[in-house]
Amino acid sequence: MLNHFETLCNLCASSGDESEVRNYILSVLRERKDVTWEIDPLGSLLVQKQGKKRAPHKLMISAHMDEVGMIVTHVNSDSTYCLEAVGGVDASVALGRQVLVGEEHLHGVIGTKPVHLLSADEKKKLPKWDELVLDMGILPEAERRTAAREGTYVYFAPNFTRMGKSRVCSKAIDDRAGCAMLLHLLEQEAPYDFTAAFLVQEEIGLRGAKAAAYTVNPEFALVLEATTAADIAGAEGDAKVCSLGEGPVISFMDRGAIYDKELYRLAFSICEKNKIPCQTKSRIAGGNDSGAIHASRGGVRTLAISLPCRYLHSPSCLADLKDLDACTALLPLLIKSIMEEVSSI
Amino acid sequence: MDLLNLLEQLTAASGVSGSENSIAAVAQELLTPYCDTVEQRQGNVIGILGERQSGKPHVLLDAHMDQVGFLVTAITEDGFVRVGNAGGLDCRFMPAQRVVIHGKQDIAGVICCMPPHLQNGEEHVLSVTELAIDTGYTKEELEQLVEAGDTVSFDMPLVPLQSDFVCSRSLDDRCGMASILYALFLIQGEELPCSCSILFSTQEETSERGATIGAYDIEPDIALAVDVTFALEHNGDATKCGSMGKGPMIGISPSLSRKVTDDLIAAADAEKIAWQPEVMSGRTGTNADCFSVTKGGVCAGTVSIPLRYMHTPAEVIQISDVKKNGELLAAYLRRCGTC
Repeated sequence: MLNHFETLCNLCASSGDESEVRNYILSVLRERKDVTWEIDPLGSLLVQKQGKKRAPHKLMISAHMDEVGMIVTHVNSDSTYCLEAVGGVDASVALGRQVLVGEEHLHGVIGTKPVHLLSADEKKKLPKWDELVLDMGILPEAERRTAAREGTYVYFAPNFTRMGKSRVCSKAIDDRAGCAMLLHLLEQEAPYDFTAAFLVQEEIGLRGAKAAAYTVNPEFALVLEATTAADIAGAEGDAKVCSLGEGPVISFMDRGAIYDKELYRLAFSICEKNKIPCQTKSRIAGGNDSGAIHASRGGVRTLAISLPCRYLHSPSCLADLKDLDACTALLPLLIKSIMEEVSSI
Repeated sequence: MDLLNLLEQLTAASGVSGSENSIAAVAQELLTPYCDTVEQRQGNVIGILGERQSGKPHVLLDAHMDQVGFLVTAITEDGFVRVGNAGGLDCRFMPAQRVVIHGKQDIAGVICCMPPHLQNGEEHVLSVTELAIDTGYTKEELEQLVEAGDTVSFDMPLVPLQSDFVCSRSLDDRCGMASILYALFLIQGEELPCSCSILFSTQEETSERGATIGAYDIEPDIALAVDVTFALEHNGDATKCGSMGKGPMIGISPSLSRKVTDDLIAAADAEKIAWQPEVMSGRTGTNADCFSVTKGGVCAGTVSIPLRYMHTPAEVIQISDVKKNGELLAAYLRRCGTC
């Protein structure tokens, strides 16, 4: 799974064009006989996994394929390009970053007004997106729009690196971690049928999830995610939100959903019984595809299982592989319990 | 000479001010083919070309080896690394930047930041002492690997942009070093009207200390600081910056020798090398400031390569400017007169 995880993190797919990730997943699925799939009109990849038995409950397990990135909005006369963020990216973490531009992955860098022209007050102000530009060097006017044009995607350059004893740092861990967990599940034998949904456009408002949940029409949903850990220098108590190395994050509530209480308790009891570390979030913050899925059609009983991850939505997300292993250990047990122990309401 | 490859070699080596050993080793190796002797002295790399003779000036060509970065100041109770800066840094660029701590081994790290989901609206640009580096190691593990005083460099490889632009860490002043090496390549085997010392100096970003002691030893008649200068950026001020692609900037300043400046301009014009004037009203902010007052005084000049995003992890230059800078230095050496 680590191979999938690293490869997926190093791909470039922002909301609205997730094809690189989708194609990679398809290349793995084509080797298997127990899956069928369709691609919905928005680009989500909906995979039907055949298990040993028919499922008593229709279960959809999802992860989103898109990563936060940038999009070119204007070509400037000085051969730079105006940008906006695709998803919630702080201009601070884009400034001075090497990026890949468009389908050809041309190299660029994000620049801004030079420091020597700023007043002392301006130097303390956080940069804003309308002050940032994409810089690919100075090109003759005729070539500028060939290199990039309005609507061209700009991605953080791939940078997957091992850190410390068991940690990794990369762009796009949100949510290639979920994609890797879900792909890994599809590569195992499944006791029951389920639908794996690799979704589009989470970062710009859970749009792929809304359409896919309608199409799949599940009774239960598990959302596999990466979520904000803030256990950084000086953080104490609940301000840490969640911590690396303490296992999957199972939230009771975030800004998008209040999670199914029975599933929430079930996940914790499975972890306790099987000595899998797990934690919840100590702040009600963030959100994920659950926000769209749990309120789809007549309602879907939903739980999110998340990898704790520092510096989310930056080019340097940092996560612990022990947590990824713990998520992977929990998932099959949770699926089995949902099928065998939870009754429909 | 493949300047892209040369810049790759020079930027891949680390050398935060005061810890220039890695880049010095690379510099010594690159300089050796072009000099009669090359040695390291007090951290500086010094190459000598030609015999010093009376009536012929001895010209010092300098580029600094050191790069801006950090020094480790402490390891926190919760296992993060606190730092101080070596050289001036643009702190707007720091959140979530990747760095390498040069401890007992090289250790990858990332500068902490708060994701948008958890911000409270009171965020500001963090000063250096507020920054913390996350290595993924615990405090106990870190204490085996890192100690106060270890240097920290930015982890930003050289990548080619469009045309012949490149982006990398520490192009300030590795591109100056590259242009001197290119000049030496151009004048290889030529009879020159001068003898030369090449000084790849330490600690420019903190104190110009390497240049100060280097020039004292070398005792040049003429000293040229080859460094970088501000290139026009988006929303910049064209009256205060150089243009990329239009060649080296020749310094004109009350603190520089007007004769050296005029000779540089004459050399550029004689060999039809594009150049730009860089007028400064006093000190130059380069090693030339210490050269001019070395011992009883030295005729100093500056030639500078326009560079974008100075003192950030991702500096940008145009390779053709490095080439033209080297051509200018060669043209100057071919005809430099006494001062």
